[in-house]
Amino acid sequence: MNFSSPVSFVTITGAVTGLSLLLSGCSEPDATSSELTQRDLSAAENTFKLVETSAERFRYESRPSSPHAGGAAAAPGAGSGPSLAYTTPEGWSEKAGSSMRDVSLSFGENGEGECYVARLPGAGGGLLANVNRWRKQMGADPLTQEEVDKLPTKLLFGQPAAYITVDGNFSAGMGSTETQSGYRLLGLILASDAGAVFVKMTGPGDLVSANESAFETFTSSLDVSSN
Amino acid sequence: MAKKKTDWSPSNWPSLLFQLFTSFKLATVVLILLTLITLFGTWAQVDIGLFAAKAKYFHSIYVQHDLFGRIPIVLPGGLLLMIVLFTNMIFGAIIKVRKRWRGAGMLIAHFGMLTLLAGGFVTKFYATDGYMAMYPGMVSDRVESYRKWQLEVIPLNEDGTAEKVWILPSDELQSIHSDEQRVYTTESLPFEVVVNGYSGNATPIPVAAPMASSANGKEIDGFKLVPQKLSKEAAQNLPGCYVEFRPTTGAPLEAILWAGSFRFDPDEKPMPFQFELEGQKYGALLAKKSWTVPFEVQLDEFIFDRHPGISMARGYESRVTRKEEGEPDKPLEIKMNEPMRYGGYTFFQESFGPSGSQPGDRMFSQFAVANNPADQWPLYSLIVTGVGLAIHFLIMLIQFTTRSRKKQAALNS
Repeated sequence: MNFSSPVSFVTITGAVTGLSLLLSGCSEPDATSSELTQRDLSAAENTFKLVETSAERFRYESRPSSPHAGGAAAAPGAGSGPSLAYTTPEGWSEKAGSSMRDVSLSFGENGEGECYVARLPGAGGGLLANVNRWRKQMGADPLTQEEVDKLPTKLLFGQPAAYITVDGNFSAGMGSTETQSGYRLLGLILASDAGAVFVKMTGPGDLVSANESAFETFTSSLDVSSN
Repeated sequence: MAKKKTDWSPSNWPSLLFQLFTSFKLATVVLILLTLITLFGTWAQVDIGLFAAKAKYFHSIYVQHDLFGRIPIVLPGGLLLMIVLFTNMIFGAIIKVRKRWRGAGMLIAHFGMLTLLAGGFVTKFYATDGYMAMYPGMVSDRVESYRKWQLEVIPLNEDGTAEKVWILPSDELQSIHSDEQRVYTTESLPFEVVVNGYSGNATPIPVAAPMASSANGKEIDGFKLVPQKLSKEAAQNLPGCYVEFRPTTGAPLEAILWAGSFRFDPDEKPMPFQFELEGQKYGALLAKKSWTVPFEVQLDEFIFDRHPGISMARGYESRVTRKEEGEPDKPLEIKMNEPMRYGGYTFFQESFGPSGSQPGDRMFSQFAVANNPADQWPLYSLIVTGVGLAIHFLIMLIQFTTRSRKKQAALNS
């Protein structure tokens, strides 16, 4: 074995250095025992919060707005709900969302149409309030409870959700003063005491009408991810 | 000329093994495989994250890789290749190599390389890393794991306190497949602990929630445990499982245990599932694996400096007191790039919380706590290797100039 060749030595040096550094990735102490082991609790860790219900234990009640710490101790997956699986319709694309939106998609030549999914804990304000919030954004008059009760439904997550269509001049609200005329809104609202789901599509009227079947494809594909 | 026949008799095996492990061909094959593993492992980080890729490709004996995402191939893992390379270098470059003054530099350099490899092994098997998070005034000697969760069964007092805990170790818990059920017992507990449906990342969702209608999983106390895709950042995964507590007589009790019931803030107390058997109250929860350091750290003050007008951190540091039995208290500062090194442990200023804190809010400080016996070995190795190579090139230079001078002298005469 000719290790005295500088070429082979430099090659080996590079490979070994790189792999050693990768192998050196820090680990944690391993325990290989498959039996229950006992240890004493220190004063700093011997107190527990006794809660009565699973909802409290899983932070569905008294859940802080952000249960996550800033550092690695944080667990940003907590409390954000299960992730969603869905089919992105042809011609639609993912767009940068916000912390309030689970899915954010856009469509149209310049991405002027948008569709998003949002979930809220609890009833999310109720069906009537949310339908009228959307109608207000389109400059339409509010509906009465009786009218809302008669709204058509479409299946969302296997359950009937209120189907809302509104034409008008769209103003997104949230501080925005810009109004876009000739817009159309399609939406589904599924509300229960344990959580609410909102799917909302907005855009220029012609564009939204042309994408109604795509909206149908998208909403019917929505499911809880089990990956 | 007839080719020499190899003697395969058992008595010749040591010689054959020596030939194999001193072979340059073996070194070449290992280096090619190391290159492939490094390439595949680096690519895999994009899809599965750094921690999972390191475990799969570099800390393994073998690895199954899907070539082009569809052709499964099995390759030796990084750990096996490094062991073979280590053995190969010891036999080939240290034991078998001719010991002569001209080779002194290369011999020293190879010692350096072996030190580097040995440091990798020591780190792999003996290094620990975790974190310690605390608010000002808190004192702790306990370090928590970033990624490892264990199942704990706690005999509880009426006021929610406890003196001891029964632990199902994290490696055992995390080895349970989602479709597998395992039973654990101990003579000190009057029930069996049956674990099934373990998921490395999961979310319990109320069955009344709209999304629950399409979620599989058993319903317990109005909740289903829905497995989630593993996060690329392994520290962000929150595992969950179904647990059954089976007493010797009477009906079993079922529960969903979820890591989110532990704590996200040093002020929080873990929220165990409570049950009572044979007159004793118990709690059960998934908790971060933890261990102690041989001294206590008290956070005296956390100094957090923000950029003017915005909440972004400009800098942060911690003033701590190290407390150790028989030693005077030692006040110290831990800053970015200025860790506290003591007793084989290194405390780095890592992070802070809670997230979204505003000026004037009470904040906690988080330290990364590392313990690696081979911490400085890469540095020592590179120094030794560098010295070895310098000696080697110096010897080569002297030989070259001597030969040139002799040649010139011969030509002149």
